Amino acid sequence: MTRRQLNSADEASVHPKQLTIERVQEILLQEKYVCDRALATVVYLSLVMGKPLLLEGEAGVGKTEIAKVLARVLGAKLIRLQCYEGLDANTALYEWNYPKQMLHIKLEEIEHGDKKKVETEIFTPDYLVKRPLLEAIQCDDASPPVLLIDEIDRADMEFEAFLLEVLSDFQITIPELGTIAARHRPYVFLTSNRTREIHDALKRRCLYHWIEYPSFEKEYEIITTKFPEVESKMAQQICAFMQKVREMNFYKRPGVAETLDWASALIALNRKQLDDKSVVETMGCVFKYREDLHHLREQVDNRQFSIDALLRSAPEMVS
Amino acid sequence: MDITPETVAAAVNSAASARGKGTLPNMMAFGRALKQLGVKVGLSQVLDASRSADLIDIAERNDFRALLRANLISQKEDFPVFDMLFDCFWREQSYERVPMETMDIQGTPSESHSPEGGDEEGGLEEAMAETVANENIPLENLDEFSMPTYSPQELMNRKDFSEMGVEESRAIARAILLIATKIATQISRRKKIGRKGNVVDPRSTMRRSMKYGGDVIELARRKKRIKKTKVVLLCDVSGSMDCYSRFLIQFMYGLQNELWGVETFVFSTSLSRITHLIRTKNIVDALDKISGSILGWSGGTNIGRSLHAFNRNFAPSMVTHRTVVVIISDGWDRGDVSLLEKEMHDIKRRAKKIIWLNPLLASENYEPLCKGMQAALPYLDLFLSVHNVNSLVSLGRTLQKMVA
Repeated sequence: MTRRQLNSADEASVHPKQLTIERVQEILLQEKYVCDRALATVVYLSLVMGKPLLLEGEAGVGKTEIAKVLARVLGAKLIRLQCYEGLDANTALYEWNYPKQMLHIKLEEIEHGDKKKVETEIFTPDYLVKRPLLEAIQCDDASPPVLLIDEIDRADMEFEAFLLEVLSDFQITIPELGTIAARHRPYVFLTSNRTREIHDALKRRCLYHWIEYPSFEKEYEIITTKFPEVESKMAQQICAFMQKVREMNFYKRPGVAETLDWASALIALNRKQLDDKSVVETMGCVFKYREDLHHLREQVDNRQFSIDALLRSAPEMVS
Repeated sequence: MDITPETVAAAVNSAASARGKGTLPNMMAFGRALKQLGVKVGLSQVLDASRSADLIDIAERNDFRALLRANLISQKEDFPVFDMLFDCFWREQSYERVPMETMDIQGTPSESHSPEGGDEEGGLEEAMAETVANENIPLENLDEFSMPTYSPQELMNRKDFSEMGVEESRAIARAILLIATKIATQISRRKKIGRKGNVVDPRSTMRRSMKYGGDVIELARRKKRIKKTKVVLLCDVSGSMDCYSRFLIQFMYGLQNELWGVETFVFSTSLSRITHLIRTKNIVDALDKISGSILGWSGGTNIGRSLHAFNRNFAPSMVTHRTVVVIISDGWDRGDVSLLEKEMHDIKRRAKKIIWLNPLLASENYEPLCKGMQAALPYLDLFLSVHNVNSLVSLGRTLQKMVA
């Protein structure tokens, strides 16, 4: 589980009440996140309505990234709950600090402390280990935190049911302490890679958006936004290549994350434009499976896929 | 349900009476139309959509579309239906009743949005109904589907379907249930508290120690729990499998409804996902829905291409190291064998097990000589026959051994 706190200056933070769809697009762009109008609309609605947003899409299209970026622009704390198989309420919500409690009991024993008193003492917030969900609910910052529940499809059904409860009330009951309600509702983002279907009840509580692979134009914009120094010709070539490759039959189709890795590798190598050689040299950024690399090479050798032709046609593809 | 411009228009019409002035009634009507087209929409979602309409400029047609879609739709597959209905519903709205004056009129006519004509599908439905009629099965008794069989020595085979008693159909149901539990049982990573576990659970240990004044006397332990495997069922419904199709439907339906986490596909020359169609407690409904929406039933076979479609569109997210992929086919393939082999290889990499059920295997002198079967064989964990109740039972036993 990773928890990251991103601090940003208060004056940079944006209040959701002042937002519009255009403004969302703008502030995301300032943080180098290129998003289309539909996504901006959905994000805007989620922020203003205070309704969780469920983002689905292929791996590497920027589902997680948008929550991180939003936390930054809103000046909010980012609390991330990475889901995995076997994740349970203990690791997501809270746990008592058992060693510390034991220690306390032993110390009291030596001093012949009062048994009743000990019992009340060890069940106080001092002995509580906060996990992401509790942290999000208890967060005392001026602005609500951004709660990112990443890859919800990896957690099991039981956890989903539990999450449903938390997301509907934003309060948690700890038997020894009582009920803790959120001071302000966190902005909740859920992501899913669709390894299984999320239950309807949970979906119903969320806004939904499917992030597609970017179009040529959008991908070009993403590259040039992230890497202003990139040669425009090469950026176009990269995009043309990615578009083509996503239509082909690979075991793992590359996402935007791979595009950006590749672009940065090419920039680091000081390439101004692509050629067959540099493509083959750096293909490890795009394909992470031996079979895929092999498949690509085979296609090139059989002349079913000509990198040269693709690269030559690239500049014309910009409208 | 097959979605055509006609059904969309019908849904708009039937919801029209609920429309009125203001956002809410219109939203409710839209929600109702969506529901009629088979999209699951909750009232709370409609209310939220209506509430949020104030937050944007609804004259911006695309923003309004995004707003409704985010609120009302919760899976990608429903996007096309939504888009068709949106165009049809809010276009009519704009020049017939005009309660929301700001609505844009330039909606594209819904007709141009229809992906394919409704004719073929209608034809198929008819064909399906005909099949049912020819075999003299009253609709109520559809769940008494019998086993089509290949091997001639089975007595049950020779019985006419109408003679097939309740006993046999119960036997099938029992066998499926048995298989279902065998396939489905696996050890979970989640743990529950138990006396014989091998991991100490600090939380409940601490709790129990309270009664001894804080000394840890009893150790609470956790043990692993049984976990369900996912099953993906790929079923060949091409012409060569025709005589088994009734059994197949029952098998798919039975498995889907006994297990959690089953995804069902049928293929002939192309692949269709039918999980959502047969997720119903009533086999007659299921049959209706399937017949209404599957193209290419009893057509040719292209296993390679179908598996390719599966690998490309579904496998990356559906098949994990815990998934058992079950393919039911006779292996007669008219497509590219090298493609089939490659796709089998890909499935093998992702899945826990691949099981191929071949009805022809029951025949004593059958050898998997056809090219498709030959290509697939090296990748299979199990190659079994399904042709009658006994074979189902033995399949159940084999699976039990395999999973254990």
